[in-house]
Amino acid sequence: MERRRVVVSGMGTVNAAGCGSVDFVQSLRQGRSGIGPVSVFDTALYRTHLGGEVRDFRPGELLPRGIPRRHMSRCDLMAMVAAFEALGDAGLRPLPQALQKAMGVVIGGGAGGMLECEEVYRRWLEGKARPSFAPFASFGCAATADHLAATLGLMGPKTTFMTACSSGATAIGYACDLVRDGFAEVMLAGGAEPLCRITYSAFNALQAVDAAPCRPFDKNRQGLNLGEGAAILVLEEAGHALRRGAVIYGEVLGCGVSCDAHHMTAPDPEGGGAILAMSRALADAGVSPQQVDYINAHGTATPTNDPIETKAIKTLFGPHAVRLAVSSTKAITGHTLGAAGAIEAVVSLLAIHHRFIPPTLRHEEPDPQCDLDYVSEGARDREVDIVLSNSFAFGGNNTALLFGRYREGGHRDV
Amino acid sequence: MSDPIAISGIGIVSPLGISLASFAPRLFAGDCGIAPLTLFATGEGGPRLAAQVDGFRPQDYLRPATARRMDRLSQMVAAAARMAQDDAGLPIDAGNRDHIGVTVGTCFGGTDVAATFGKVLFDEGPRRVNPILVPNTVMNAPAGHLAIEFGVRGVNTTVNHREVAAETAIGHAAALLRRGRAAAIFSGGGDILSPFAMTVFARFAALSPGDAGEEGAFPFDRRANGLVLGEGAAILCLEPLSRARARGVRPYCLLAGCGMASAPAPATGWPTSPEGSVLAMQRALAAAGIEAAQVDVVCASANGAPALDRLEALAIAQVFAGSRPRVVAEKGALGEGLSSGATRAAAMALSLRDQRLAPVVGLSQPIADFDFVRKGDAEKRPLRYGLLNGIAAGGTFVALIFKAMEEGEGQ
Repeated sequence: MERRRVVVSGMGTVNAAGCGSVDFVQSLRQGRSGIGPVSVFDTALYRTHLGGEVRDFRPGELLPRGIPRRHMSRCDLMAMVAAFEALGDAGLRPLPQALQKAMGVVIGGGAGGMLECEEVYRRWLEGKARPSFAPFASFGCAATADHLAATLGLMGPKTTFMTACSSGATAIGYACDLVRDGFAEVMLAGGAEPLCRITYSAFNALQAVDAAPCRPFDKNRQGLNLGEGAAILVLEEAGHALRRGAVIYGEVLGCGVSCDAHHMTAPDPEGGGAILAMSRALADAGVSPQQVDYINAHGTATPTNDPIETKAIKTLFGPHAVRLAVSSTKAITGHTLGAAGAIEAVVSLLAIHHRFIPPTLRHEEPDPQCDLDYVSEGARDREVDIVLSNSFAFGGNNTALLFGRYREGGHRDV
Repeated sequence: MSDPIAISGIGIVSPLGISLASFAPRLFAGDCGIAPLTLFATGEGGPRLAAQVDGFRPQDYLRPATARRMDRLSQMVAAAARMAQDDAGLPIDAGNRDHIGVTVGTCFGGTDVAATFGKVLFDEGPRRVNPILVPNTVMNAPAGHLAIEFGVRGVNTTVNHREVAAETAIGHAAALLRRGRAAAIFSGGGDILSPFAMTVFARFAALSPGDAGEEGAFPFDRRANGLVLGEGAAILCLEPLSRARARGVRPYCLLAGCGMASAPAPATGWPTSPEGSVLAMQRALAAAGIEAAQVDVVCASANGAPALDRLEALAIAQVFAGSRPRVVAEKGALGEGLSSGATRAAAMALSLRDQRLAPVVGLSQPIADFDFVRKGDAEKRPLRYGLLNGIAAGGTFVALIFKAMEEGEGQ
């Protein structure tokens, strides 16, 4: 049986550094950071006050007229805007009726409708009023996919993954398998995450947050900045995309998923799970480590993640580790948790399509434990054919995605 | 012919008993797991029934050091996985631990922990919250804890999609195994009763009321007036048949196909059209390569919510227009366990191995003309194929097809 290949024919994103992928690519090229004061809730009582917030988010102006927004959370709406952008980008607006029945959606979630639920919950705890529980329809992560499918009339497979900070990548990997296995010709896949008080206080309590803008791989890094956003990809069977003359941003070459089985919040010091995820993505793609041009790192800027990720890359890539470029775009977007894997999939595909490597912002003082080429000087124009995107999460959940420039003959080497 | 996916072990923590040995006899006898809720106090005049898990002793299954770090849901999931591992006789060692995966479905996750965390956040402020709680507020906590408990580094995912989370996780596991992404996967799901879940469902008027009419779970019955919440966890050990066979294990049954679909639905409610459920069932049949008429038993999702039961009755009638499978609806005994698909999959696996079916508890005046399984029924036909139907509020549908082992197969 001929192997079914999966390409990305459309992308959309909303995040602190860009509303739409055209805007986002400018931020990535210019190293423009979206990190600033958080305003979606009052941070006065918190230890830190910064985040990668989507400012002036006006879904009413960004969505086509007549799209009902009732009962949708901020998270749902960011995903909705990204999905419409992705479909428009793919030349699938309006969505052909013939596609709707088999097309599905897979979302990687995080806090979902938590921001809105927090208000209700706070009032419920006060025990006074009987607040409307309507926002709880968006509790958990499923509401985003439900709203997308209902709005677009999708009747294909629909589900939601929650593997914390790797959710978005896990969702894309799963949707890719659905297309490969013939369960769908076209899928929407991505992730969405809102800033909210529960998450913000949780990361602060774990002392994982830098009060200043984060510095991935820098010697003086103090932790991450939380962010929010959404990114949606149109995944399409290659032949289907070619037949309709779609622009192809790149191919999903492979996906690797693993678990550290070490600790719920601390990474395995040997990077065992990270190595497994990366090597599985390469094996799935039949690509050798030497073919990889760029790694979009998990690079959270926490004291533990960055050296362990560096060590894992060095272990797996051997001498090639110093030749490839590694950068963390979380200094630009913040750590968008459930959305991060999807936003960074967009970064990876933009790098391939626009032939450049985005920089690691604020990487100033080298750390002897982080000794790779982190693209500190600014965006680098160069040919980029194969990109590995890492997402590591609480629970030890690791997902690595491998993307490549679309070539008729593919990239299989092994 | 590719290697079929087998269910080689089952672990269960349920309102009808902990471990298969206590669950199976009560399930097939038609016992009801629904009783007055005693885990925590319920609101005055509100619903007072639930299907709660009693007598669960995590220390019987888990190491004290790890069990201590787990929330109640993670303990249930990890304990069920330990039972499934023992049942499957699957040794886990340095040689295979990287190839053993976990896929868990949950609707609400550890909401009791999240509620505790949130209470401090809102009552005392963000600087007073307890960092120890954080890992267990996240939906993927059970899968992460389970991986640590077993030391398994294979594929590890958590599906968080309302009432079909577990069905999806099981279908996902089968697809992963077929692609060779793991050698064995512990797959299933769990949810727990909590004041949070009771409050949310009560506010949406989804529960069988405590202050009007008869409180209870009456799937497919004219008396149906809402669901009764349940809890529990079930984990299946899934692996390619050849691997189970190589260990000399005779599996319960095979997982032959999975079908998924979506259809528009109100944000908090059940879809109005049966189309999505019909599509999921038809896709599952196609994936298994069988006709509807070959299905001997359907395990329905019906939970006593009138709109869901009507919708599912229409869908089953449409898919099985030309045949008359037996119909079971276990939420009458187990309550709406949210990620109930795992427990129902365990029941289906037992049914296909033992050729027995569970009577529909809470059914006296059916709303549909199906061949429902009743107490005292003799088994009418050999059970070869079973279809498990999953429907979630918000319009998500998953159907799984299970196939009994053939004579000589898996020996």
